Formats: sequence, structure tokens, C-alpha cells
Amino acid sequence: MSTLVLDNGACFAKIGYSHEKVSVIPNCQFRSKTSRLKTFTANQLDEIKDPSGLFFILPFQKGYLVNWDVQRKVWDHLFGKDMFKVDFADTNIVITEPYFNFSSIQDTMNEILFEEYQFQSALRINAGSLSAHRYFHENNSELCCIVVDSGFSFTHIVPYCRGRKMKEGICRINVGGKLLSNHLKEIISYRQLHVMDETYVINQVKEDVCYVSQNFYKDMEIAQLKGEDNTVMRDYVLPDFSSIKKGFCKPREEMNFTGKYKTGEQILRLTNERFAVPEMLFHPSDIGIQEMGIPEALVNSINNMPEEMQPHFYKNIVLTGGNTLFPGFRDRVYKEVRALAPVEYQVSVVLPQNPICYPWEGGKLLAENPDFEEMVVTREDYEENGHYVCEEKFDI
Amino acid sequence: MAEKKTTVRSQDPNQRRVLDSMTRHRRLTRQLEALEKDNFQDDPHASLPQLVKRLPQFDESNESGNESSKRRKKTRGDHFKQRFRKNFQALLEEEDLSVSEGPNYLIACAEPSKFPQRHFCAVCGFPSNYTCVSCGARYCCVRCLGTHHETRCLKWTV
Repeated sequence: MSTLVLDNGACFAKIGYSHEKVSVIPNCQFRSKTSRLKTFTANQLDEIKDPSGLFFILPFQKGYLVNWDVQRKVWDHLFGKDMFKVDFADTNIVITEPYFNFSSIQDTMNEILFEEYQFQSALRINAGSLSAHRYFHENNSELCCIVVDSGFSFTHIVPYCRGRKMKEGICRINVGGKLLSNHLKEIISYRQLHVMDETYVINQVKEDVCYVSQNFYKDMEIAQLKGEDNTVMRDYVLPDFSSIKKGFCKPREEMNFTGKYKTGEQILRLTNERFAVPEMLFHPSDIGIQEMGIPEALVNSINNMPEEMQPHFYKNIVLTGGNTLFPGFRDRVYKEVRALAPVEYQVSVVLPQNPICYPWEGGKLLAENPDFEEMVVTREDYEENGHYVCEEKFDI
Repeated sequence: MAEKKTTVRSQDPNQRRVLDSMTRHRRLTRQLEALEKDNFQDDPHASLPQLVKRLPQFDESNESGNESSKRRKKTRGDHFKQRFRKNFQALLEEEDLSVSEGPNYLIACAEPSKFPQRHFCAVCGFPSNYTCVSCGARYCCVRCLGTHHETRCLKWTV
């Protein structure tokens, strides 16, 4: 009886058996201009020789699973003989869903898991609940924690008390990695080079070069300086997929501050974009989205909780999700929350070693938990009682 | 300076169209919606003939027992696909959230920030102080205003 843990995200699916390691695989299909017949699924991305102008087909829209055709193809590939070789009748599955998932999507997920794939039993849970479980497992004495899950589609801030999420405190900011990449594409396309088609390449640029500034206006001033004084400016070499396979950032010693480069590489010169793009997580109003940023929403969410719990939440802030990997993210969140929180409370922000796989690790611990058998819904249960039993048992 | 400075004032004020706040707001919403797109180019496979896609796929489902393949037919038929091709907006409306009580998807959305909005130049990205009279875009200096007028100002209508 093995358990497969699948953190079904909009960008990456984190999947693995609970007794093995996790694999992070893109959760979408790709089409390339060069190889016209084939549609690549999930990790077949490595087979594409020329990822320029790559066309993405994502099953998720705004963070919710709407396109089941594509999702089923990706799952067929993941569960099939090339990847995990799942023996459905003998496997439990732990699968994650977004918060406030629509009931039609939940019902469809039940049908597909039990009737099509025929898993032995299934547990549908929020990714943040798995993170909270992992956090409480490490810190036994803490009663409450607040999880910030900043992913591809949006950012959720969810308070947890004694292992249960507090629905009144859930706050969703509609800024995620996708928005940051698209915005970076737009500004580069306007200021330097037309890259609107190059999602894959610009995503790489964002991950390599962007950082969260600790002092926004000061960095803005430095970025306006000319020549060597401008420590913020970086040159990024774009890949051309023949000689340069992967883009990289030129080290400062090789940078040419005056005049042009002699070699024929395509270069992007990035100054304030480096920190203005992740700034959108903290101030979505910079771009016109009238919502609070992460620190403000954290404080707002905690203020909606009962007073006696508030100090506990401030002491246990957990950051998960891909966007937290920007250098300087954790320190900036701490600084802003410390400034907004009441002075007598202690503030502590935790960034785990691997924020992307943190919920998956929680799922792994959950699968080994002795109470696991009572939390899942078995196939027999589902066939007797239908969707009702899933609605009762799963807290989504 | 090699470039010839053309002042904006030399243009007849009656010639420049000024957008009202409704139009500006619509433009902004359009821009924000464009940021939600997955792809900005067209599907490379869109022009291929349909015949290619009808090739049988020899995958696991054909090799497993009859019973499971019968079950799969139930879940892969056309009517099933009709159910599963709704887009996000349709699903949200179906959910009919005004009926249920307590926190839900719409309530969970973050409120507007209490801090004032910061403005950045549409051309160079640095903090801006001035607004374009015609379209409401921000700029930081006269040079950026010139670039803005040449490239973006009122270039597409809403």
C-alpha cells in the first residue's frame, strides 16, 4: 500500500511516493514552432531543442483547474510507465487543491480519481494545510501559525490554529509568478527588445536576476546613476540555443559600461526592473491592482483573528511558494511586518530550506501519520455514498 | 544635444484628444487582463489539418482489462468533455456564491491598500511626478514625455 503525494500546482506539480524523493515537474503541455507535430507533456520539456517562442497550455486558469483534458494528459504521463508506474488499485493519493475550490471542480476531481484512475483511496487537501502540518511537526509547542503561500497564480495568507484553517482569516492577493513574468515581458518589450512570446526565457531571467530590495527608494536612486556607480545594473546574456543554451547574467567584472559589446550576443540591460518587478508582491498598487501587499494583508488577516491568538500568529509566520525564493524576500517581509505589528508582540518569519517542496514534505509526513487511514476516503466509500462523503470528510 | 527638442506646447491644444476617466479606467482594466494571459502568440498547431490529431494513441488504457476500458469510455466521451471545457468565469458564476454564507472565494480577496498608490514613469520605470494630459500615463522627465508621445500615447483606442 504505497502513498503517492501530488502537490498539484498551476506551474509545477510536485510529485513523489511518500517513501521516495520529490520530483518537480511542469504541470502543463508545450508546443514548439520547430517541432510541429508533437505536443510535449510535462517533463518532456527537456527534449525540446529550441525553447524559443514556446507555447504553453496550462490546465489552470486563475489558479483553478478548468481544463481537464490537459490535466488528464499530464497525469496520464506522470502516472504511466515512463514516470511513476502507478499501480492504482494499490495506491493512496494525497492531492492538493486551491482554497475555496469550486464544488463542480471538486466533484470532477472525485470522479476522475475514483472512476477513471481508480485509486484505492484519496485525500484532497489544501497545500497550506500540508505546510502547516509540517511546521507543527517541527515545532510541537506552537499552537498557531500563519502560512503565506505565494505561487504562480496568486498569493494566499491563511491562519492555522491547532491544525485547522481559520476561514475568516484567509486573504487572497491576485499577484503571482505569472503576473510578475508577464509584467517583466511587457516592460522589456517596450524598453529594449520584443520578448512577448518568450515566456520560458523571461521566466529564467526573472529567477536569475530579480531580487527584493530592502530600501526601495534608495535602490531607485542608485539605479539612476551612470557607469560604474550603478551597482544595481546587470547585463543578461540571452540564449540563442545554438551556442548559448541557457541565459546567464554577466558578472560585473566583464561588464562594459561605456559603449557596446564586441561579441554578437543579445544582451538585456536591467536596472530598476530587477527590484521593481518583485515589488509588486508588496505593493500591487504599483501596477494598478487595488489590493494590499503581502505584509499589509498579513497584519490585516491576523487582526481578524481573536485577540488572544494574535501574538501566536505573529511568532509563526511561514513563507512557502516559488515567489519566496527571491533574494531578500524574507528580510523584507520581516521588516514590514515588524513595522506594522504592535510593539509588544514578537515577530518571527520562517523561510524553509525548500519553499517549493515544503507542502509536499508535509504530505509525506501526513502519509506516515497513524491517523492517515481515518482522513482518506476509500473507493468503496465513494461508490456507496457518492460526492457527499467527500464533502463531509475533506475540509476544502 | 543631437536631438531637436520639440516642445509639446507647440502642438495645438485642440488637436490632442483628452481621454476621460471612464476610458482611462477601461484601458487600465484591459492592460491588467492582458497580464493574465498564458501566451501572447498563437498556437503553432492551429493551422495543422485535423486529421493528424485523430491518430490513435497507443497508451496504457488500451492494454488494461475490458472493465476499466469500459469505465474510461464513460469518462472520455464527448458529453463529458462538454462539461469540462468551461472557463473560469463560467465556473465562478455557476458556483453562485451570493447564496451561501460565510467566507468564500469573493470575500477572501484582499482589500485595497491603506497606503497611497505610487506612480512610476511608463517609459523608464523610475518614480514619476507628472501625468500626460491626453491619456493619463505617468512620466518623469520631458525626454520620457517625448518618447511616450511618439510611441504609445493614444496609439490604440479602447
